Parts: sequence; structure tokens; C-alpha cells
Amino acid sequence: MRKRTLQRGLTAFWWFTLAFLYLPLAVVVLFSFNAANSAASFTGVSLRWYHQLMGNEEILSAFANSLVLAITSSVMALGIGCLIGYGMYRHRHRKLGWLIVLIYLPIVLPDIVFGISEMAFFVQIHRLTGLLQPGLGTMIIAHVTFQIPFVALIVYSRFVGLDPTLFEAAKDLYASPLKRVVHFMLPTIKPALISAFFLSFTLSVDDFVISFFTAGPESATLPIYIWGAIKKGVSPEINAIATLMIGAVAIAAIMSLLFSRRRPA
Amino acid sequence: MAYTGVMPSARSRAMVREARHLLFTVAPGAVWIVIFLVLPGAYLMGVAFMTNGPYGLPEMPLSLESFKRLAGFGFLGWSPGNLYTLLRSLWQTAVSTGLVVLVAYPIAYYITTCREKWRPIMLLLVVVPSWTNQVIRTFGWMNLLAPGTPLSGLAEGLGLIAPNMGLYPSSFAVTLGLVYNFLPFMVLPLYAAFEKLDTAQVEAAQDLFASPVRAFWHAVFPQTLPGLLAGIVLVAIPAFGMYVIPELLGGGKGMMLGNLVATQFSGGANWPLGAAGAILMLIATFIGLFAMRRIGKRLGGGEEVVI
Amino acid sequence: MNETITADAIASSHPRTAEAAAEGEASRQASAIEMQGLHKRFGRATVALDGVDLTIEAGEFFTLLGPSGCGKTTLLRILAGLEEADDGRLAIGGRDITEVPPHRRSVNTVFQSYALFPHLSVRDNLAFGLKMRGMAAAARHAKVDEIADFIKLGDLVDRRVDQLSGGQRQRIALARALVCEPDVLLLDEPLSALDAGLRSQLQVELLRVQKRLGMTFVFVTHDQDEAMVMSDRIAVLNGGVIQQVGPPREVYEHPANAFVARFMGHDNLYPVTGRQGSRLATALGELTTAEAGEGELLLIRPETLDLLPGEVAGDNHLPAVVVERLYRGSHAEYRLEVGDTTLQATLNNRGRHLPEVGDRVTITVAPDDLITLSE
Repeated sequence: MRKRTLQRGLTAFWWFTLAFLYLPLAVVVLFSFNAANSAASFTGVSLRWYHQLMGNEEILSAFANSLVLAITSSVMALGIGCLIGYGMYRHRHRKLGWLIVLIYLPIVLPDIVFGISEMAFFVQIHRLTGLLQPGLGTMIIAHVTFQIPFVALIVYSRFVGLDPTLFEAAKDLYASPLKRVVHFMLPTIKPALISAFFLSFTLSVDDFVISFFTAGPESATLPIYIWGAIKKGVSPEINAIATLMIGAVAIAAIMSLLFSRRRPA
Repeated sequence: MAYTGVMPSARSRAMVREARHLLFTVAPGAVWIVIFLVLPGAYLMGVAFMTNGPYGLPEMPLSLESFKRLAGFGFLGWSPGNLYTLLRSLWQTAVSTGLVVLVAYPIAYYITTCREKWRPIMLLLVVVPSWTNQVIRTFGWMNLLAPGTPLSGLAEGLGLIAPNMGLYPSSFAVTLGLVYNFLPFMVLPLYAAFEKLDTAQVEAAQDLFASPVRAFWHAVFPQTLPGLLAGIVLVAIPAFGMYVIPELLGGGKGMMLGNLVATQFSGGANWPLGAAGAILMLIATFIGLFAMRRIGKRLGGGEEVVI
Repeated sequence: MNETITADAIASSHPRTAEAAAEGEASRQASAIEMQGLHKRFGRATVALDGVDLTIEAGEFFTLLGPSGCGKTTLLRILAGLEEADDGRLAIGGRDITEVPPHRRSVNTVFQSYALFPHLSVRDNLAFGLKMRGMAAAARHAKVDEIADFIKLGDLVDRRVDQLSGGQRQRIALARALVCEPDVLLLDEPLSALDAGLRSQLQVELLRVQKRLGMTFVFVTHDQDEAMVMSDRIAVLNGGVIQQVGPPREVYEHPANAFVARFMGHDNLYPVTGRQGSRLATALGELTTAEAGEGELLLIRPETLDLLPGEVAGDNHLPAVVVERLYRGSHAEYRLEVGDTTLQATLNNRGRHLPEVGDRVTITVAPDDLITLSE
């Protein structure tokens, strides 16, 4: 009897917690369709804030920046991270402690320390050499830095899950080093690569703190734009952009999940 | 075919080839991280020991000025502002981590009691909100806690806040934001611990100890302890360095170390002071990682970092 | 087996690349393997191969036999090119390939884990080697069909790899290697993961394929029964050194040393405590051998013994008591006590009297069947 009461209590708590988790997002989505310019009362359904978005040059440029940043950095991180992941796998019997520390560093470092380190460093390099002017370039560098470890770990774990004799079978069946990459390794880890790409993309779009500190005046991304808009004062327009971003990230994240799940038995 | 005497050692050639392979695959990424993260980090640490220049930029000579200022010793004698911020960060971290544990523990347990095919979906439901941008999630709370909203109205009605004040900005809003933000980080390791729970031990304990409370304390809790500790590390470290949530929900009196550091690199412009604050966060991070390693070793398995 | 396909038909019906075709005829006639002074160490301490000299004849079914860690797999991997010898030379078909990488050797391997590519269908797995060699798609397709027919794969060709059973995977792995028509086929314990019934069925099948194609097979196993069933010749390895090379009968009946004898399953080994011409003194008593060997151990194979009821005096007659009898239908295995020593004997069940436990018997053995060995 008491056990059932406990279970009922837990079920209620579960739904309460889910409500807690989704309420802030639901409010954002709901009020993005609000006809009134109010965050307190919902007067009717309208798409006026979405229409307003379309005409806002700043938002469109922030959107473009976010997209360029996410795609460029993800592609770069995919290349670099994939190489490291394979290197870690191939040389897994060596003592690679230093490499593991290096790989985990971007993951464990608090965002704010990550962001200001790079900002301070970039600013000084720029003062000394004129290189690394804050802007999309520095943001791409920063994003690639925190994406590399995730790509490397995903690729590594895919390789570890393979029968190591497959590599030998490919050699044995006349595949030259280049052909092994093209006809064996890349097709075999394709799901991991796709998953890693979407994860990198999500991480990039999601990031605010690191972007904020490495951005230049012209390179605001959507989160930076939203941040600025919030600082200026809450506007329902923010709800509309935020809703679009929630949707985009959810799609990318689900894609990443789908591809990481689909593995040959 | 005649054996043609000593040939160049195949062994050493193979070693050279392997070393070259290692270099080719690992070097690009390793060099990238060294140049764009390790060097900047080292530079920042150096900055912390320099003197604040006219535009907030670091200058020679080396000094411990910034650390003194963090502890409250400024030009105008002792003022507790920075120290308050530090203590507030510790307090917020402790309170929010504690609350996260209180919510996550029953949730993680509840998921393991549900049917196996639902569990991944339930975990997903817990994790999905954290995929959205932090700024947007925090903005959602601003909408919910602003003056005039039902939640604020409720608080007003209960006499918890003054009329028309709203629930934000406030320390309470920051705590709420932190709990919201870090809940999944705690649920995942706890769920992993509950899933591995040895039910035979629990049943034995139910036989031995009459009260369920004692059975829980002796049989269940110790088994979930590693997951709990891992969760605490995963929550407390980033909470201590949090920037976005106190900035948006906290207002002037809700400032945490992250805001203090960030301010020194933008408006306030005192790089050495900000760098000194960053060093505190780094120390906290390394303590956390060290604790994590110890937990990992106690578990006896490979340490999996929950992302 | 498809009786209409012969090795020659298969070999001639597949156009190779121009270079391979020129070389093909020569290497097909002379794909013997020569190994000279092969050494291999792993790390500092582990010696895998300690000077292996071995010649494998063209068209031979050759088995590398030994306990795990004896170096047999290392030797196979050196043949495949997957491992490089620290020292020594290796030639296949008269061509030195010591430093030729695996993808340029006309050698294919059937791996213990089968190593079928999970991202490819069975058909693409079969065609992989041909594709890597640059064969055109249509020709590949025809060849895959042909090998599928030859190995009797039937509709397995259109399945996914993860839908196959262990035995099916094994056959696909074999077909994938054979379709490339290598000079030498290497098999790394290919049957060890299968259950007993399927295993003996595939042993026969493998043997037939080899005889039909006339290809050189190098087979690695730790199972002496399997080695004896399959092989034209066996090399027994221990500690990275070849202990004996010879046809199965020779290795079984005349083991070169005590290690080979024990590994082939012989337990009746007795130290020779004294010798006078062809008379040997052992713990069993005095025995006469046909040839006066030098070895300090006497080997008595269980199946060479005969048991006479009661006590019968005579040369090479030993009085004994039956301690244990395992009746196996076709034969019976005995454990006998001779003085303080025990001895194993195997009697074929030809319907005559089989002594019972406790019976006093006399063991007889022909001088020809007694061999002495060194440790």
C-alpha cells in the first residue's frame, strides 16, 4: 500500500519536473505568437513578430553569421577531430595521457575562462601583429577549439567499437592506404561523422559565452543579438527568434541522435 | 634465394613509420588546442600576476595586487564588494547544487522504475531543454518571473515579495535558473547509478532492517553515492563559473564570480583582476576533476565523462 | 560441390589485369613459400619467432600447429604482410616479398573473426578485393556469382552481413578470399568459433575446395585432430621455434621430441634409466626396441598396445592391472598400473573380450612401435 503511494507521489513529481523543464521554453514559443506587445497577457494568435523579424537587417545578418560560423567551424572541427580520433584509436596502446588531457581541456574549462582567455590572447596578438582581428575569424577559431574534442571522442568510440581485424582485412584485400580510407574507414564511420557534425553544429549555435567574448563589432550571432536585445529591454520579437532557434537546435540534435543510434548490429 | 646478411632493422623502420603516423593524425588538433587554448590560458594566468594599466590592460611589474583586490583590499582601504561576490558564488553554488540533488534523486530513481522501453525517452525528455541556447532558456524564465506574471502574482499574494516587484531580478531567480540549467547534469549520472543498483542487496536490506528509511540508507544510498558525487562535480564546477544566468536574472545584487571576471574584460576593464578571478575558477575546476578521477578510480572502471 | 567447375576453369575464365595476367601463369605454377631465418619480437621480452626456416610446397595444404603463443599466428601474419619480421627473408613463388606491403601481395586471409565489413552487403564484401584491384563492375559481378556458385552460397549473396550465422559468415569469408585467386590462401583458425558438427562439415568442405583449386593453403590451428585431418604436412611450433615438419602420420607416429609427442596427445612417456644395445630399462620394466635410439624418453602409443588376459611371460610382455576403462563404442580406453607407474592403452572393439576394471592382464607391444625421444 505504502509502496503504491510512493510510486504515485513520484509520478506526480515527474510530471511536475517536466513542466518545470518545459515551461520557460513553452512561454517563449507561446508568446512568439502573441498578438499583443506584452509578456504578461496573451491576447490572440498572430505572426506579426515573425513578420517583423524578416524585415530586421540586424537579425538577418546575425542569422547569417550564426550559420556561417556553425557550418565553417563544424566542417573544420570534423576534419581535425576525425584525424585525432583515428590517431587516438590507432595508437591506443601507447601512453597518450598528455593527449587525453589536451582533448578534455576544452570540455572541462568553464566557458567564461575559455572565452576571456581567447579574447585576451587574440587582442594582444592583434596589437602586436595585426593578425586575429576580432570577428568571424576569431569566433571560428574558438568554436573549432571546443568542437574538436567532441568530434574526436565520437570518432574514437566508433573505431573502438569495430573489430580490429577489419583494418587488416582491408589491407589483405588489396586496398592501398588511400583506398582503405575511401572504401573502408570513411564509409564505416559515416554515421559517427554525421552525428559528430550535427553535434558540432548544435554546440556552435548553442554557444553564447565564448562567442560573446571572441566576437567583433560586425560578427554578432543570433545569441549575441538576443543578449543585446534582452539587455536593451524585453521585446516580443525576441520570442520569435528564440522559437526559431529552439526548433532548429531540436532538429539538429534529433538528427545527431538518430545517426548515433543507427549502428549495425 | 640467399639470405643477404644484416638488413636495416625492420623494427626501427616500423617505429619511425608509426611515430610519423601518430604525428600526422594527432598533431593538427593537438597543435590547434595548444595554440588556441593552452597558450591563451597560460597568458591569462600570467596576466593575473601583472599590474593594471591605464586602459585596463596588463602591465609590468609583476604583483599580487589583483589577488589582494579579490580579497577586498583596494586603493581606498578594505571594501568587501569583491569578497561578497566570491562568497555569493560559493553560496549560490552550494544551494543550487543541493536543490538539484533533491530534485534529481527521485527523478532518476523514478525513471529506473519505469518500463525499459520508456527509459531512454524519459531521459531524452529531461535532456532536451538543455540543448537550447542558455540565453534563450534564461530569457524564458525572465518572461515567467517578470512583474505581472501569474507566478509573480502568486508570490505577491502569498506576501513573499513586495507588490509590482516581480520575482526577478533577485538571488532567488538566480538559484532557480541554476537549478533549471543543471538538472540534467545530475539526473544522468544518478540514473546510471540507479540502473546498476544491485537489487539483491536492497531485498536483503529489507529483510534485515524493518524500516524502509534504514533499508534505503544502508543498501540504496551507498550504491548511488558514486553517481551522486559525479553529478555534484558536474553541477558545482560550471555553476561556480556561471555568467549568463546571474547577469540576466540576478541584477546588481545577484552578481557572481563569472560576472566579476567578465566585467573586468569589458566595462570595468581591469584585466589582471579578471584573470585572478579566472584562476580561482580554474582551481575549482581542477579540484572538481581531481575529485572526479578519485570517484572514477573508486568505481574501478573507466571514467566516463558525461557530456 | 559443383562437379563441373574445376580449378583450371575458374582460373582461365577470369581475365586479370594485364600485369597480373603476365605474372599469373608463372606464379600459379610456382607459388611455393620460402621462409629463411624469420625473427620477431614483441616489446623487449616476448619472442614470437626465433629463427624460422620453412619451405611450403606449391599446392600444399600446410598446417601451422601449436599451443597459443607458440608463434603460429605471428608467422601467418608475416606471410600476409600484416606483421613485419624483425629479421629474415620471405619469398612466395620465387619472388622476395619480405618488404612488400599486404595490399600488394597475392595472398589472402580468412580471419578467425571473419572480419566481414559491416557497412557492405555480402555481395560487396565478396567483390571488395576485386574492386580494390581495379576490376570493372561487370566482371566483378560475374566473378562473385561464380564463386557464390562454387562455394554454394545460394541466396546468401543478397543478405546483409548482420543477418548471417557463424557458419555462413565463415563461408562468405572463405569465398571473399578465394574470389581474388591468391597464390596462397591463409586461414587463421577459421573454424574455431563453430560448434563441433558444423566444424567437421566445414573441414571436409574446405579440404575439397583446396584439392579442387590446387591452391597453396596455410592453415593455423591449435587442434591436433583438425591438423591431422586436413593437412598434407604439419609444422609443429613451440616458443617461436619449429619443432617438427612432416606429414600427419610422421608427426603423430614419430614425433621429433617430447613436446611434439605431448602436443599430439601422447601421454605414455617414460624416462630411459639404462640401456644396453636395443634393450631399455624404464619404470615399466625392460623393453626391447627395433632400433637403438639415442633419446632419453620412451614413447609408447596407446593404440599399439595389446592386452592379453592373465599373466603371460615373454619379451616386451608387462604384467598390469586395469585401473580404469572408458568404453567408447568403437574402442575402449584403458588406464593400467604397471608396478608404480600408469600406462594408457586403447583397444579397438572387434567384438572380442574387453578386460574389466580390476582384471590382471599382460601388456604386449611390438619392438617396432617403441620409439625413443629427446626432451
